[in-house]
Amino acid sequence: MTKPIALAIKWVLIAAAVVGAFVIATKLAEAGNTLAVVLAGMVGLGILAIYATRRGVPLKYLAPGVLLMILFQLWPVVYTANLSFTNYGDGHLYSKEESVTDIVAQSVREVPGAPRYKMSVAVKERASVETADLILLLTDPAGATFVGDTSGLKPLAPEGVTKAPSGKILTAPGYTLLTARQVNARSADLSKIAVPTSDGGGIKPVGLSEAFEGKPTMSYDAATDRITDSSTTPPTVYAPADARWTNVANPSQTLPQGWKEGVGLANYTRIFTDSTLREGFVSIFLWNLFFAIFSVLSTFLLGMLIALLFNDPRLRFKGVYRSLLILPYALPIFVTALVWKGMFNQDYGIINQLTGLNVDWLGTDLGAKTAILLTNLWLGFPYMFIVCTGALQSIPQDVREAATIDGANAFRTLRSIIMPLLLVAVGPLLLASFAFNFNNFGLIFLLTKGGPFNGADTSIGSSDLLITYAYRLAFSGSAPNYGFAAAVSVIIFIIVALMSIPGFRRTKALEEIN
Amino acid sequence: MHKRALGAVAVTGVAALALSACGGSSPTTPSNTAAGTAKATTTGVPETPTGTAAPVRDANVDLVIWTDADRSAAVQKYADQFAAENGVTVKVQISTDTRQQFKDATKVGKGPDVIVGAHDWLGELVQNSTVAPVNLASDVAAKFLPKAIDATKFNGQSYGVPYAVENIGLMYNKDLVPNPPKTMDELVATGEKLVKEGKAKQVLSQFVSKVGNAYFAYPYLSAFEGGGIFGLNAQGGYDPNKVIVDSAGSVKGGDVLAELGKKKVLSTNVDDTNQDALFDTKAAPFMISGPWSVAKAKEAGINYGIAPLPSLTGGGPMKPFLGVQMFYVSSKAKNAALAQEFVTNYIPRKDVQLALFEVGKRPPALKEAYDQVAATDPDVKAWYEAGVDGAPMPNIPAMNSVWGPFGQATADIIAGKAGAQERLAAAAKEIEANIAKG
Repeated sequence: MTKPIALAIKWVLIAAAVVGAFVIATKLAEAGNTLAVVLAGMVGLGILAIYATRRGVPLKYLAPGVLLMILFQLWPVVYTANLSFTNYGDGHLYSKEESVTDIVAQSVREVPGAPRYKMSVAVKERASVETADLILLLTDPAGATFVGDTSGLKPLAPEGVTKAPSGKILTAPGYTLLTARQVNARSADLSKIAVPTSDGGGIKPVGLSEAFEGKPTMSYDAATDRITDSSTTPPTVYAPADARWTNVANPSQTLPQGWKEGVGLANYTRIFTDSTLREGFVSIFLWNLFFAIFSVLSTFLLGMLIALLFNDPRLRFKGVYRSLLILPYALPIFVTALVWKGMFNQDYGIINQLTGLNVDWLGTDLGAKTAILLTNLWLGFPYMFIVCTGALQSIPQDVREAATIDGANAFRTLRSIIMPLLLVAVGPLLLASFAFNFNNFGLIFLLTKGGPFNGADTSIGSSDLLITYAYRLAFSGSAPNYGFAAAVSVIIFIIVALMSIPGFRRTKALEEIN
Repeated sequence: MHKRALGAVAVTGVAALALSACGGSSPTTPSNTAAGTAKATTTGVPETPTGTAAPVRDANVDLVIWTDADRSAAVQKYADQFAAENGVTVKVQISTDTRQQFKDATKVGKGPDVIVGAHDWLGELVQNSTVAPVNLASDVAAKFLPKAIDATKFNGQSYGVPYAVENIGLMYNKDLVPNPPKTMDELVATGEKLVKEGKAKQVLSQFVSKVGNAYFAYPYLSAFEGGGIFGLNAQGGYDPNKVIVDSAGSVKGGDVLAELGKKKVLSTNVDDTNQDALFDTKAAPFMISGPWSVAKAKEAGINYGIAPLPSLTGGGPMKPFLGVQMFYVSSKAKNAALAQEFVTNYIPRKDVQLALFEVGKRPPALKEAYDQVAATDPDVKAWYEAGVDGAPMPNIPAMNSVWGPFGQATADIIAGKAGAQERLAAAAKEIEANIAKG
């Protein structure tokens, strides 16, 4: 390539990256995330500094990888770890202030027996429909007309007022009526309007053409930090406890809206003190380990055997066989796992029907585990077949020939020449496969949901992996608890990381063969 | 080797990107839709999602409604009418998982103004401050089935407008069984006779599955005095502090499950994947299911009938849970005034309720609309009558703690793994512990 073209391409790419960073920064600015805007800007500048100048040549190679690693690996880990120190979850999404506003706003009840008005929204004549104070023009069921604003309800003289058949005022002298779209544009102002009435309630709009008299039953006292519900006799008092508003007289009763707060190490203490978790952990962990190792080995062996078979130059129509074998890999697991589930059915499944067995595959411990391993073998071997085929084709023919000349038989060649070279290539992929299967949530969830469950305990299933177990643990309460789930994820992350270290050491040793 | 490893990293990197592109929401071409909707008041067809991603809210529209694909056409029709009458633009978007997508999108300020959903989401939505009260005039509310209106309430506050009710009932094959059985004993006797004669392979098809199904098991408990899941509080709502799955009445229901399991009338091998097929291939003359099974039975050419669930010996008729479909208004709605107007003024209309009936075939919640439909559609009348005694499914968040433990308990009882009394007691303990976790 000539230099000017290369230069042009380089600058176009740099410009594209900087524009990309700018677009992302704008979007983040719209979302109001200042820190992220700064970071996006720094990334943009960094790209300029690294690629537009001649300095820092190694960085030119490192930067993309590092950037992607931070984005897709480090950031989720940090985010999850951060979340694990909070109680974030259903009912604990917003701040305490927001929970108070919401509770008070949602407690507005219609005053019994109060009239229901037909309503039009208006502003004073010649005032701006976008900004002027809103006025409600009301018609009560008897047909009397009123003007309502924040100062109260006043009668509106019927002269010059025209009304629709429903009673809704269409024109009134001295007022400009807003169209539906104009009213809608001021939804926020409209929701704050409450025309005060003599009994302490307020007339509030419903949609575009109705208004009702309502009264909040909850009130918040900032000085004592208490919410009082006046709809009960005697009034119920709620005090903050455990990130919820709790009835002082009866602590088992709480208001549904809680708030998000930091809980320190509470999620982690719960993991290590939960009795079912402690009892179940060892058996789940062993099965999880066995499942991951067995899945990797069985799929690898089957995939490699088929790959060796199909690598034989004498075989015809290899393309056809290979495409067919990749099919299980190409079909979505959501379909195939459910099909397998149907095939394992004790009464109606094809497996029992063909073999004449009456095995309760999904209802017994051993049956469920066997079913899972068989299904995963079927799902996983095509991947191993693909990578082994690729790796085998990259092993030079002369090495094999040399082995044959040295008098090695086929098995010896496989064991001493092909296998080591193959493992160099697929070793890291086996590790990746192990990590994937260690957390193979989809398969377990679709096939057995972790079951069968024994001993009247639905928190620990006998085919549970740590990840499915953690899922149930975190989400089996009344409300999904993301903070707790995050803490469990962090623990699983640490376990997988610790187990991967020896694996990576081992692949390093393999590398030296090359 | 280093090159190869780098290649693998690059491949997985690309895969991660591709995955995130699938999982993330792909924006709909904003320039087109904005231009299209700004001019016309009608948007024509509902916007279908790409994959399972949540719809992207269109900022240029005056009212945004999220619904599932089935109802979208009917909602779209009246949304268009509403748009024309008020001189505004309305957009109906299809959401594949409205419950979760609505919660997630609202959290980041990108949610719709109105959603269509089931009433048992209510507690969870209130808990997360995602829905706003909907104040229906009392004379309008009186036009609805009282149970449907009850279902839209949480802690005494009303949060939406219902349009359909649904419940399970007994479907029977008229070619094999001319008259539906009134009692479970009769059902079992008829079914066993048919099996003996070789006309059927099994008595009943009911969704049980290995992990159990609380929704289908509940009617066995509710047939007995004091049986059920939650007791009631002073205001008549479900009380999460009163778990009654191990009450004397509930245990009697559990005993029936055990007995039917022993007779192979109920089996944990029947689940959602084969339940309809068993009835539609005439393997089972009876099926306990809901309106969603009718279309398939029709397609299979089954001469089906619908009847109320049978009664149990020593108790009364089995009472199913009622599910109510309703329109919610988001508490973070950007177009709150229009949203409230649409839900309070449009959904209670008879023609709207009839149009929604046509797409879902569930009994309408508006009495007037129900009466008109029931006069001509015997199925709807039959479904409605099968649910007359039913109670609304609990809409309190604590119900989330019930599905797993209670479902598994009933599966274990049916499979004969444990006795009803001890197993239901254990389930109650587990449910209480889960609720306490909050």
